[in-house]
Amino acid sequence: MTRNGIAFWTGAAVFLAAVFAMTQLVGNQYPFFAGYVILQFVALAVAWSILGGYAGYVNFGTSAFFGVGVYASVFLVNAFGAPLPVQILTGAAIGALMGFALGLLTLRMQGIFFSIATIALTIIIETTITNWRYVGGAAGIQIQRPAVTAPFDNYVQMLFFVQALLVVLAVAISRYIQNSWIGRGLQALRDDELAAECTGVPTLRLKLLACVISGALMCAVGAPSAMYLQYADPAGAFNLNYSVSTLAMSLIGGTAHWSGPIVGAILLGTTQQLLTVTISSEVNVLVLGVMLVLFVVGAPEGIIGLIRKLRGKGKEGEA
Amino acid sequence: MSKKVSKPGSMSRRRLLATAGAAIAASPLGASMLQAQQAPIRIGMSMPQTGGLAGGGKASLLGIEIWRDDINAKGGLLGRKVELVVYDDKSSASETPAIYSKLIDVDKVDLLFAPYATVPTAPIMPMVKQRGLLLIGNFSFQVNSKIGHDMWFNNAPWGPPDSWASSFLDIGQKAGGKSMALLAADQEFAQNLAKTAREVAGKRNLPIVFDQAYPPNTVEFSSIIRALKATKPDIVYVASYPPDSAGILRAVNEIGVGDSVKVFGGGMVGLQFGAVMENMGSLLNGVVNYNSWLPEKSMYFEGTREFFDKYTKRAVEAKVDPLGYYLAPFGYASGQLIEQAVKAVGSLDQKALAKYLRENTHKTIVGPIAFSPDGERKETAVLQAQFRGVVDKNMEQFRSAGKQVILFPENLKSGELVAPFEAARK
Repeated sequence: MTRNGIAFWTGAAVFLAAVFAMTQLVGNQYPFFAGYVILQFVALAVAWSILGGYAGYVNFGTSAFFGVGVYASVFLVNAFGAPLPVQILTGAAIGALMGFALGLLTLRMQGIFFSIATIALTIIIETTITNWRYVGGAAGIQIQRPAVTAPFDNYVQMLFFVQALLVVLAVAISRYIQNSWIGRGLQALRDDELAAECTGVPTLRLKLLACVISGALMCAVGAPSAMYLQYADPAGAFNLNYSVSTLAMSLIGGTAHWSGPIVGAILLGTTQQLLTVTISSEVNVLVLGVMLVLFVVGAPEGIIGLIRKLRGKGKEGEA
Repeated sequence: MSKKVSKPGSMSRRRLLATAGAAIAASPLGASMLQAQQAPIRIGMSMPQTGGLAGGGKASLLGIEIWRDDINAKGGLLGRKVELVVYDDKSSASETPAIYSKLIDVDKVDLLFAPYATVPTAPIMPMVKQRGLLLIGNFSFQVNSKIGHDMWFNNAPWGPPDSWASSFLDIGQKAGGKSMALLAADQEFAQNLAKTAREVAGKRNLPIVFDQAYPPNTVEFSSIIRALKATKPDIVYVASYPPDSAGILRAVNEIGVGDSVKVFGGGMVGLQFGAVMENMGSLLNGVVNYNSWLPEKSMYFEGTREFFDKYTKRAVEAKVDPLGYYLAPFGYASGQLIEQAVKAVGSLDQKALAKYLRENTHKTIVGPIAFSPDGERKETAVLQAQFRGVVDKNMEQFRSAGKQVILFPENLKSGELVAPFEAARK
């Protein structure tokens, strides 16, 4: 293991230990509710960035994957009373299949056409769920949480920890991809797909892989959300807001490095949570909009890009 | 001389005492002691102020604010001022769990109101049940049926779930209706209405000759109305949302629904809001639709007129529905429920308040309210009213009685049905 590797895994272990300690020590529930939402967006942004950042295929279908994860859980709870790990694993499996199908789309579509197709995907799946009465259909469905498992004494604390695990998993995968031949191949195909293909980069295989991994992670993140809300409705689960926020977080953070989406998601996610309970009116939508514009103008390569520029030397290739 | 000197001396001692007293009162300790005596009673809630439900949410909030100002003008509750802590939930279910956790755990509010509508309310039901907290509902539909929280009280006039469809079908069947057509939007509220309508029709052996759901955001209804007309139904039950309600009425105006139809309407959302009614104008005539409050003689209770005087003035400034019949008086009534319960119990003990609310009938500006064990109204007070003599582009006409004649419930009735629908449209 390289020195960077040791530092990364130590950091991840410290993060998980801190999250776990927080669930055992903090009595106030609000940090867990708000923290869960922020962690959820961190995981989504990191997962999105694998396809959208490294491969340059801008996916507007985050809400489709997220919603499918939510409804996979709803179905499993309704039909079998399945426990949380089963919900997440099944969500990931379905997400991987969806990702594979999306990957096949990239054979024929690139750039803006691919992005439009991903929006269509969201609408198609949402319409299907809307008409599927077993999972509540248009009326939505309320689901009951099972009893919480030790050592947690509150379900939201457990969900908070589970989401932290998903974040570490997503970041580890994203970091591995960036530093391996997969990342270099994806970068090549982002710059020029034809040239990459000509120089022997297996572009289709790489794109499929990126889609499958990204899709599986996004669905897995959606799965515990059903238990968090204890309610699911198609308009909420497939809300385009998930797609837009995830994209904005990745772009604000910077997509060139695995840490970019994390920085962006923490910054934007925390701001959103704070604005909800402080300004709390139409103004908070405006504040977010202004923030986006400022970052796009002031830091087109995201915060990570800005830091690199300020340091005056690119540290590409390192992690 | 010495006396003279000592006099100013004693004066200064007195002044010293006074200064010290003032200093203690102004110090953090003194200030907190003063506040503790009359710390306000804080009522926490989220309210849709942006997003799809914002129009209703803002009107509802204004109703609650008018109650707050009234009660504070009367000296507050238990001698304490009433304060509202309100956050915007963006009309979304995913925002409310964190907001209510903030209200309960960080703001430590004394009482909770639910946000307007079903979707934002659904995720907080298990939370309040788990923590044993009183929650006053705000126009959500059957949100407690699965949860079974015994400290939930909905301000809406819905009553038992099937009463809505029953009352409309009663009117239709009395007018000689023998078959029903059902047209419903593929959205939460409309589908719930359609479901109960199917159940009620099944119980009454009323054949459903047409049953169609359409996707949200449909704008063109002529093909659907043609297909509906071809089945020659007697009763047409429509469960729609504001944009589609307008689209459906326009299509009906162009194509007609046929002479067989006795009554048309039932669950069309949007026809309760001033702006929509003004836009639709004469297209509304003949439609029998649900409502919660209307300016008919039978609907005025103690305080109702005063409330609308205040609302009409403040609505302009708050940029909300100028009429405000649908939600605002019920927001005020939520406050009245709490007011009466707190006064009777004499404390903010949530269990005692819930017990009082469950066991008594409460006087409000929207009439007496009594609750059944599930926290919904014991009896439905959902009005079914027929639009009559409505002219185009005139908001003020809806302020006078007779434009929406109440056909149901019996005790509030202000006129008889005009049928068939085609005749009533003229």
